[in-house]
Amino acid sequence: MSLSPLAIVLLAVTLLLGVGFYGLLVARNLIKLIVVLQILAKAAMLAFVAAGYGQEHMGLAQSMVAMVIVADTVVAVIALALAVQVRRHYGTLDVRKLTTLRG
Amino acid sequence: MAAPFITLTIGLPWLGALAVWIAGDQHPKAQHALAVLFAVAGGLSGLALLTTTGAEVAIRLPVGGAFGDFTFVADGLGVFLAVIATVIGSLAVIFSVEYMKGEAQLGRYYAFVLLFIGAMAGLALTGSLLLLFFFWEVTALTSYALISFHNDDPKAVAGGIKALLMTQLGGVGLLAGALLIYAHLGSYDISAFLAGADALPPDLRALIAFGFLAAAAAKSAQAPFHTWLPDAMEAPTPVSALIHAATMVNAGVYLLARFFPAFESVPGWSTAVVIIGMVTALLAAVMALVADDLKRVLAYSTVSQLGYMVFAIGCGSVLAGQFHLFSHAVFKALLFLGAGAVIHAIGTRDMHQMGGLGKHMPLVRGVFVIGAGALAGIPILNGFWSKELILETGLAHGPLWGYIGMLIGAGLTALYTARMVWLVFYGEPRSHHHAHDARPAMAIPLVLLAVGTLTTWLLFGPFGALLAEAVPGLHEESTLDFVTKVVSDPATLLALGVVAIGLLAWQQRSRLSPIAAGLRALEQAAKQGFGFEAINRFVARMTRSAATVLQRTQTGELNWNAAGIAGALLIVLIILAGGGTR
Amino acid sequence: MALWTSSLHPFLWLIVIPVLASPVVYLAGRLAGAALARWLALIALIVTCAPCVLAAQELAANGAATFTLGLVQLQFDGLSLLLAGLALGLGTSVTLFSNAYMRGETGEEKYYAALLAMIGVMVGLGCANDLFNLWVWFEAMAVSSYMLVAFYRDQPASLEAGVKYLVQSAAGSVLVLLGIAAVFGATGQLSLASIADSVRQAGATQATSAGLLAAGALMTVGFGVKAALVPLHTWLPDAHSQAPSGISAMLSGVVIEAGLIALLRAVSALLGEGDAVARFGQLLLLFAALNMMLGNLLALKQTQVKRMLAFSSLSHMGYMLLGFGVAAYTGQSAAAQGGMFHMLSHGLMKGLAFLAAGALLYTLYVAKGAHGPLMVNDLNGAARRYPLAALALGVAVLGLAGLPPLVGFMSKWQIFVGGFQAGDTLVALLVIFAALNSVLSLAYYAPLVNAMYRREPSHAVRLGAAMPPTMIVPLVVMSILVIALGVWPTLIAWLTEPAGQALLAGW
Repeated sequence: MSLSPLAIVLLAVTLLLGVGFYGLLVARNLIKLIVVLQILAKAAMLAFVAAGYGQEHMGLAQSMVAMVIVADTVVAVIALALAVQVRRHYGTLDVRKLTTLRG
Repeated sequence: MAAPFITLTIGLPWLGALAVWIAGDQHPKAQHALAVLFAVAGGLSGLALLTTTGAEVAIRLPVGGAFGDFTFVADGLGVFLAVIATVIGSLAVIFSVEYMKGEAQLGRYYAFVLLFIGAMAGLALTGSLLLLFFFWEVTALTSYALISFHNDDPKAVAGGIKALLMTQLGGVGLLAGALLIYAHLGSYDISAFLAGADALPPDLRALIAFGFLAAAAAKSAQAPFHTWLPDAMEAPTPVSALIHAATMVNAGVYLLARFFPAFESVPGWSTAVVIIGMVTALLAAVMALVADDLKRVLAYSTVSQLGYMVFAIGCGSVLAGQFHLFSHAVFKALLFLGAGAVIHAIGTRDMHQMGGLGKHMPLVRGVFVIGAGALAGIPILNGFWSKELILETGLAHGPLWGYIGMLIGAGLTALYTARMVWLVFYGEPRSHHHAHDARPAMAIPLVLLAVGTLTTWLLFGPFGALLAEAVPGLHEESTLDFVTKVVSDPATLLALGVVAIGLLAWQQRSRLSPIAAGLRALEQAAKQGFGFEAINRFVARMTRSAATVLQRTQTGELNWNAAGIAGALLIVLIILAGGGTR
Repeated sequence: MALWTSSLHPFLWLIVIPVLASPVVYLAGRLAGAALARWLALIALIVTCAPCVLAAQELAANGAATFTLGLVQLQFDGLSLLLAGLALGLGTSVTLFSNAYMRGETGEEKYYAALLAMIGVMVGLGCANDLFNLWVWFEAMAVSSYMLVAFYRDQPASLEAGVKYLVQSAAGSVLVLLGIAAVFGATGQLSLASIADSVRQAGATQATSAGLLAAGALMTVGFGVKAALVPLHTWLPDAHSQAPSGISAMLSGVVIEAGLIALLRAVSALLGEGDAVARFGQLLLLFAALNMMLGNLLALKQTQVKRMLAFSSLSHMGYMLLGFGVAAYTGQSAAAQGGMFHMLSHGLMKGLAFLAAGALLYTLYVAKGAHGPLMVNDLNGAARRYPLAALALGVAVLGLAGLPPLVGFMSKWQIFVGGFQAGDTLVALLVIFAALNSVLSLAYYAPLVNAMYRREPSHAVRLGAAMPPTMIVPLVVMSILVIALGVWPTLIAWLTEPAGQALLAGW
């Protein structure tokens, strides 16, 4: 059995998404959550690659992916900076302890 | 012709509100003076409107879009209510000069009273459904602000919010009705609707009719929405006299009268109006009989008398309803202001702490007894004539059970009125207080209103003529014919007999005590508000517990929040994939 | 030089000035002190108002304008103008308000820089004409707002709100990207207009329509996170209540609306004609009902002023969705315009409410170095010491509840008119449900007003600081607008009408 390259990429996208959503639902550590967000973003990037490949617009897809990488990195940096402050003020990175705001 | 007076009648009080606010609370004297000045000027302009009535649109401001034209019409029905609002409004403002002396935050008080007067005039004079609802809501807003004027008193705050919520709840009926009309006729013009109502599909007309009825019942404190009015008595007494007796609560009756021609042929509507009027009149009369707070007795009596007006409209007589509205506005304003003078003098509203006040306050007693006589329906006071007119209309055009119910109501009215007058002014003093009689600022409005109570019935002929141009098919007649008819009608004797029984029942109350004991259960039920309060509480409790349940969904946990995203994605996918069609 | 002035349409300045001013303000603040940053930011925004007026005139005269730079195309239509006007107007007020509110905070220059950037990119978001470009603006807006929400780095609650906001927004953003990839994969297009064309022409093969369907769902949910559709809303009450008050005003008044505009723009292109639009309308109506109900009921339980206002934003998002949902479901133009009007009026009223509450929070707490939340009880007797701020808050919340003569009454009315004109029983029932919700909202707004007009001042009010005039000016101006538009609603029709038409043109 042989899979077309497009199918392999789409399979990878689905897998990454699955891992990502699972992580969003169960990860308690803020750093892990940030990693999970990165995984989700990678899924999106792969999806762009797949779309570009399927539509034979690889150049456009690549430039978009580059843009996503930049934006994604900025978000990750801010998120990590927040995580440092959270660790400092709450003494933990467990998001289930970050529940002073509720109701 | 009427345009400048319409502008002045609405605009002067509103300008006054601004002026009083700008004058600032540091200058109470200027505030009193400005308020009186603008209120009286508004009243005069309202009276001037009487000379320029006409059914055509006097002011038309094209706003466009979904808002249509803002129109104002000075027809008889509207001008009448505008005059009531501005004239009694100016009397209440004059009364306030003495009553509110030394109160803090006068600016807020006068600004809202004047805002109310202008809005009430606007409500009466507009020809656009959108503006009707607009002013309807403004009066609700001002009424709320004035009921809870003493914001430090939790009862006042609760009363204000309750009044606001309940009238707004009913107001949704008016909103829906107005929107239905606009959606089908493409215009907010009230006269266009009245002319074209018959062309609308019957079930649509029924929806509009019952929507308006709900709004009217909420505004005029009719069952099952009546519970807010007694709680509104936390307001300063001039406000109770103006808003919660003489004007705003009449807006519901006005609404029914205004749209009666369009709704009378809706099956079941007239009967529903008759039932609501009668049930309210009777229930409220019983509650007035057992209440101990002077202002609450007056509030229940207002509810009950409004029931009479609603009943009259249900029986098909706009004239009878509006004529009683006229009489009631005058004598009930008199009673409230009289009660205000008493409360101002001795500082309590509990009738069990009054008694024997007549000796110290002869003037107040005199005018109060006149007002009470009109309420009880004693000849020749204005309340007698208008109530007779309603009863005769009921006998002639309404169901017999309705007539009998209203007759019993008349007896109860006489009974609770006698009880109230006795407890306040006669008998032995039940507590020590240094009552003083009304000072000029209070005495002037009281005397004017007392003169009105004695004489307004003489205006029956012109009143009918005024209304006839606005209400199609209204049967007008001269005062003399009307008086002759009432005097010669045997039904009048019957009604007078019932009133006399009511008065006698109070005089012979010690002999009737076994009967009273037998009615203890009824008394208890009346003190509980016949279970309507329980319904209110139930609704409030259900809302709160729904909120408490929902509050648990806001856990603050990030994983749970993310689950919301995943769940929403699934649901949206399912809906978009499954979907419906247009 | 000629190229510089003639080829740049005025609307571009709306984006360029704030975005370029942002680093300048930051550097000025760094090098010459925060005072310069404060005033430079304000001046930059006031200067931007001139091209805004020009662009509006141009739009009225010549219709939508486009600008192309390589692959990027920007289009300025009615919807763009509405968003630009709202962002600029509210942004200017907030900048003036923040002048005193943020004075002396560490990183003040960052605050102004991020605020300017956020305003500029929001205008850009409104002009974006292709999907990926839309996402870039959207992400830029999100990034600048992350920094602003978690501005108080030493406040644990502020950090917590920032973390939740960031994680949820980033997840939403990924969904949007996946949606764009799906559209790209299915049609090979990114420009909104060509996507719409190819969707209409293709008649859709099985695979394409599945891809588009998935894309529609992904983008609805992805943008929906920012627009706070229930159940994607859970970050909003935290972020809007913990951010500096000026930012709360921006977030509730413009940012969630920008999210909604992005949602409408992106998804509209995928729908083609007929049934799909109606189905999308039904979806919006469902969210409308959920938002109104949950927002109101939860606001009822709040004791903190800003958190209450935040929950009320949820319910107001519901009213906007009601307008747009009816417009999509039945093609009612009054409803679309009403939705736009409510977007503006909510921005105005909620902005005013947050600024007024913020002014009180400032005088009672912030000015004294404290960061306690503003409780409803703290407002007791506030009207005697701070009459204008109390009046402004009263006007704002009563307007939000839809009482006349305030603008909320008129904008809700317009939505309701559209709903009834649709002639659909279910829609009419939903409108009545919305009206009942307005009544319910009075149950939490009214006590707030009552508290302010008590005679007995709360402890906090008694010790409160004086209110700086730079805070009072925006409050007074916005209050006057709320009343003026409530009396004469069509004063603003030049903004709402083209916006409504632009929206309907996409369907």
